[in-house]
Amino acid sequence: MLGLMMLVFIVLSGFSFLGSRNQVTPDEITFGTHYATDGKKIFQAYNCMDCHTIVGNGAYLGPDLTKKYAALGPAWLAAFLPSANMWPTEFAVQTQLKDKDIAADAGVDTIEAYYEKYPEAKERVQRRGGKPTYMPTLRFRAGEVSQLIAFLKYTSAMNTEGWPPKVMTGSLEHRLELLHGRVAGSAAATPAGSSSAPGAATSAGGGAGGAVERGAQLAQTLGCAACHSTDGKKITGPTWKGIYGSHEKLVGGGTATVDDAYIIESILKPNAKVVEGYPEGTMPPYEGLVTDEQIQDLIAYIKTL
Amino acid sequence: MLMLILFFVQVGLGLLLALQHNDPTLLAGTLNFNVVRSTHLNLGLIWILSGFIGSILYVGPLLSKRELASPWLIKFLFYAVVAVTLWNVGTQSLAMQGSAGWWAGQPWLQEGLEYIEGGRVFDVIVLIGFAILCYVVLRTFPKVREWNEIHWGLGLGVVALTVVWLFGMFYVPRVDLQEYFRWFVVHYWVEGVWEVIHISLVGILIVLLFKVSVKEVGYAVFWGILLVWLSGLLGNAHHYFWVGTPEFWQFWGSLFSALEPLPMIFCFWHIYLDAHANRKPLENAPAFYFILGSVVLEQVGAGILGFTMTFALTNVWSHGTWVTPAHGHLALFGTFGLLVLGAAYYAVPMLRRGKPGDFDQRLGRLGFWLVFSGIIGLALAFALGGTVQVYISRILGFEWLSGDLMPSMNLYKVLVVSFGFVLTVGAGVIVYDLCTLGRQTERTKATEPAPAQIPARPATGWSRPLTGFEAGTWLMGMWIFGFIVTFNLLSYNLDIVRVHGDPTLPYVLAGIGYPGLFLTTLLFVWRFLASMEARVAEAALSPAPNPAAVGGGGRA
Ligand code: HEC
Ligand code: HEM
Ligand code: HEM
Ligand SMILES: [Fe+2]
Repeated sequence: MLGLMMLVFIVLSGFSFLGSRNQVTPDEITFGTHYATDGKKIFQAYNCMDCHTIVGNGAYLGPDLTKKYAALGPAWLAAFLPSANMWPTEFAVQTQLKDKDIAADAGVDTIEAYYEKYPEAKERVQRRGGKPTYMPTLRFRAGEVSQLIAFLKYTSAMNTEGWPPKVMTGSLEHRLELLHGRVAGSAAATPAGSSSAPGAATSAGGGAGGAVERGAQLAQTLGCAACHSTDGKKITGPTWKGIYGSHEKLVGGGTATVDDAYIIESILKPNAKVVEGYPEGTMPPYEGLVTDEQIQDLIAYIKTL
Repeated sequence: MLMLILFFVQVGLGLLLALQHNDPTLLAGTLNFNVVRSTHLNLGLIWILSGFIGSILYVGPLLSKRELASPWLIKFLFYAVVAVTLWNVGTQSLAMQGSAGWWAGQPWLQEGLEYIEGGRVFDVIVLIGFAILCYVVLRTFPKVREWNEIHWGLGLGVVALTVVWLFGMFYVPRVDLQEYFRWFVVHYWVEGVWEVIHISLVGILIVLLFKVSVKEVGYAVFWGILLVWLSGLLGNAHHYFWVGTPEFWQFWGSLFSALEPLPMIFCFWHIYLDAHANRKPLENAPAFYFILGSVVLEQVGAGILGFTMTFALTNVWSHGTWVTPAHGHLALFGTFGLLVLGAAYYAVPMLRRGKPGDFDQRLGRLGFWLVFSGIIGLALAFALGGTVQVYISRILGFEWLSGDLMPSMNLYKVLVVSFGFVLTVGAGVIVYDLCTLGRQTERTKATEPAPAQIPARPATGWSRPLTGFEAGTWLMGMWIFGFIVTFNLLSYNLDIVRVHGDPTLPYVLAGIGYPGLFLTTLLFVWRFLASMEARVAEAALSPAPNPAAVGGGGRA
């Protein structure tokens, strides 16, 4: 009897992993030049599974990650993962979309098309953009974020027999209403949506207050604050506290004095000079995305810290 | 030699303490949750395993009427467990830097997979430890021809423990295949090997406590083990519904794992029969309290709560939510945690004083009620929180913690902490009690004649003897509430919930099912124990000499 059941089990197991089943394997999936097989090792090295579930197994603090690539797309993930303590703003996602590999992988290159294709990313940006999250920042090494995205691309492609179950309760507005009631729902959706709209990226001088206030505001909407603390804490990037006029040790030897020119270069071409202790390529280049006035406002703000 | 085994059990309890300390930080979420959680899981497994090892090594010689083989190996094993535990606690925090120690394709320092987070170094040392255990146990046992059922249970148990561990020892690049093998370790451990060890240990402890013969429990142990394996082997399929394995597992998993509660019902029934085989009063009440708690929670936590989420149609909702840890805690701590504590309550007084019942049993009783109600409350909080989470995350599709989930789940998160606190206090009481047992008795024993605690009145009402019919009715009650919980999970499939988003039905069913189930459980255990305690009073009333009073002399 026991033997018979063991036989059934073994036969079923054999069928489960036959090539003819067309289940994806990680060696078939890449993201840019990065492999899902490597991503899986990174996923385990940071033990994502004791905060998140993957195929529903693991911990129940953060959401299940199996289908996140399909729902949120590579640009949102690339904006979120390196600085997970803050939800990405629209500007941050746009910045990632400028990257050729990411745009190619997403199959779209404008933010509107991106939202169309990944409505959950839109919901995140509009309701949460710039707000703190409960996920701590993990300080990834160069390339690890892309490898993780390749891994999540692989799990998204897996056939999990319909799990997690499809949400069938209708539009976002309707679902918000079910959860928060009518008043709270609409109140939560509108102001957050308008504040994170990157009006800042187009209108330079808009808004009241001097350069310092505008700079502080920009640090939020552009998403700088996700990586640079103002209280001296070392998160994804160097803190801005007391940074102006200080001397930074650079990768490959030498030091640089943090003055206007250095800050401008660090915003437009951050990988020209990388501060020691931070992996290259973490900060995206903002060339063509921010105006000179905006940079001046940011510098004014940084000087006060 | 015997001291050493005792130490073993104590180490287990020391770890329990450490484990409990973790939980407040766990929830505060200050220092990375994943590190705290993996430590929580690993220490939980290690202290229970230490308890098993200690218990097996304690009963092995008694059962075989032989001396323990190679005591020095056990001494070595003891230090190895301490060392490897410290090592494991140390390496888990590497996850914060993302260092797994990759070398030759294997993660040597930490592995980042739930339950088997230990890296390869840890795995290998543990494997050696298990091998030593097998060697000692098998050498202690007599020749195979002379084995009784309990020998078989424990012998097969330790060997299978070792074999199953092997499946977690290699890196698998595919997620589906990785999960396939990970559940070999997790499922076959708890629902295959540990249950077998559990049944055997309950069997031998019943023999020791009630002085029945091995033959009487033997057939129960035999059938229990057979049923566990018949249902559990294919029952593993309930972990293969959604991990990327084919759909046919949903059929096999739903069918066979639904049979998994059978051995538990059987075991439940048997402890009733054995406890009522004669009407002698309990000599060692705490030990029996814990064993009863263990068998009952095996029934409720593993059997009933496991049953509710073991069908593809219910599991699709419970999977990956707080509904799962409600079952996990009640089953794991309830069944195995309480058992090893019960074994410790039996073994420690025997080792320290050579007598079963000769100690102040009040703290033990108090500790039992604290951990028992704590774990039940914890399961309730997880289960209700999970019910809300299923609705918000799976039906409405919102997973944002601070914005969408927390406002509704906060109450339950607070409840988890509160009941966790009760459990921790209970654990503190138990650890203190077990550590000081041998010493404190000298002083307190004289002032505490056992029967005086309970007014000597004839057993009627709540404490009248429990009949088979009544026990059966209680069991039915538990299952009825269990079915209500099953319907709660099923109801998420209905259009009214799934499409129209109306949570009333599942909330009402969960609101009746879970509290009803847990209340019935509490009342039943209370009732059962009241009827057992009443025997002391009965014995005091009857002319027969009262063993508890006779044993009260207290000699070193
Ligand atoms: C210490 C716990 C922790 C660890 C470790 C962790 N996460 Fe998270 N993660 C969270 C939490 C909590 C959230 C949800 C944040 C919120 O809702 O405020 C989250 C959110 C996310 C999200 C966004 C999900 C969504 O639906 O918006 C992604 C993607 C993610 N994590 C990926 C990862 C990956 C990949 C790793 C491993 C490298 C990882 N996380 C490690 C806690 C963690
Ligand atoms: C004493 C025995 C048992 C113990 C200790 C135990 C323990 C556990 C634990 C700890 C988990 C959580 C796994 C995770 O982290 O995802 C779990 C899951 C589960 N168990 Fe048990 N269990 C036991 C018996 C049973 C029985 C008898 C059944 C079926 C009737 C069962 C059915 C399930 C199911 C369906 C899951 C959920 C799997 C998922 O959705 O991921 N368990 N068990
Ligand atoms: C003070 C008492 C306890 C508290 C407050 C507590 C709390 C928790 C919490 C918050 C989690 C994480 C759930 C999540 O991922 O969201 C967890 C997981 C877990 N704990 Fe405990 N715990 C306690 C005692 C125990 C004990 C005594 C054991 C067993 C020996 C245990 C075994 C487990 C297991 C197996 C899991 C994983 C469950 C799963 O994934 O389904 N816990 N616990
Ligand atoms: Fe299982």
